[in-house]
Amino acid sequence: MFAMAIYVAVFLWAWPLARSADALWLKTLYALTPVPPIVYVVWLMARRVLASDELEQRTHLIGVGVAAAAVSIFGIVSGFLAAAHVLDADFAAAALMWIFPLLTVIYAIAQAIAARRYGSSACFEEGLPVALRFLYLIVLLAALAAYLYYRKGDMEGASTALGLAIGVVVCAAFFGFLRWMRGRSEQE
Amino acid sequence: MKNRVRELREKHAWSQGELAEKLDVSRQTVNAIETGKYDPSLPLAFKIGKLFGQRIEALFEYDEEKR
Repeated sequence: MFAMAIYVAVFLWAWPLARSADALWLKTLYALTPVPPIVYVVWLMARRVLASDELEQRTHLIGVGVAAAAVSIFGIVSGFLAAAHVLDADFAAAALMWIFPLLTVIYAIAQAIAARRYGSSACFEEGLPVALRFLYLIVLLAALAAYLYYRKGDMEGASTALGLAIGVVVCAAFFGFLRWMRGRSEQE
Repeated sequence: MKNRVRELREKHAWSQGELAEKLDVSRQTVNAIETGKYDPSLPLAFKIGKLFGQRIEALFEYDEEKR
């Protein structure tokens, strides 16, 4: 989750720079800056799946399957709309960059639902408590939104970061609700 | 699939966590097997059988109604 937040932060920071840079090498450098955090996220995900047991691997497979289907539909819809010039090329390019964050969010939600179906909790078992992770992420994104708005005057970037923070609040509420339901069913 | 995993675990006075550790799986997996929400793979079923000193068919019973 933290690596994903770093990717989003780096992306929001580097993207305006990549567009405004004059030299081609600098443009390329800024445009590719978000790649290392993404590679790190993929490595973390692979490590997590490999370390899990057969039931967890099944829930991961369900999560990946649902996320791949949802993101494919999103990609196809964006592609068709861009080809028909309903969306402009810039929007279609931006949509491509949001594919991976979207995939990881849908993957996490679908995996949590699948795990719950088998009577387990979501995928966060070790390390920081889930509530604290969500809180850090919300604070990080809100701080980024404030920075982009007040220091850079970047309304578009600030509203994207704020929208993401709100999305994380919704996710946190969803996971909280799942946990509450689980606690209730265990009590009964 | 019906199974006797909970019965045998309680007979050995093991917690779900202890059994999970012996089988090298998570406690959630043991819980899902015991409650019949998840049918283990053949290698895991053999591992459970070996741990309890039972044959697989003595541990697991095919449940026609659930299918």
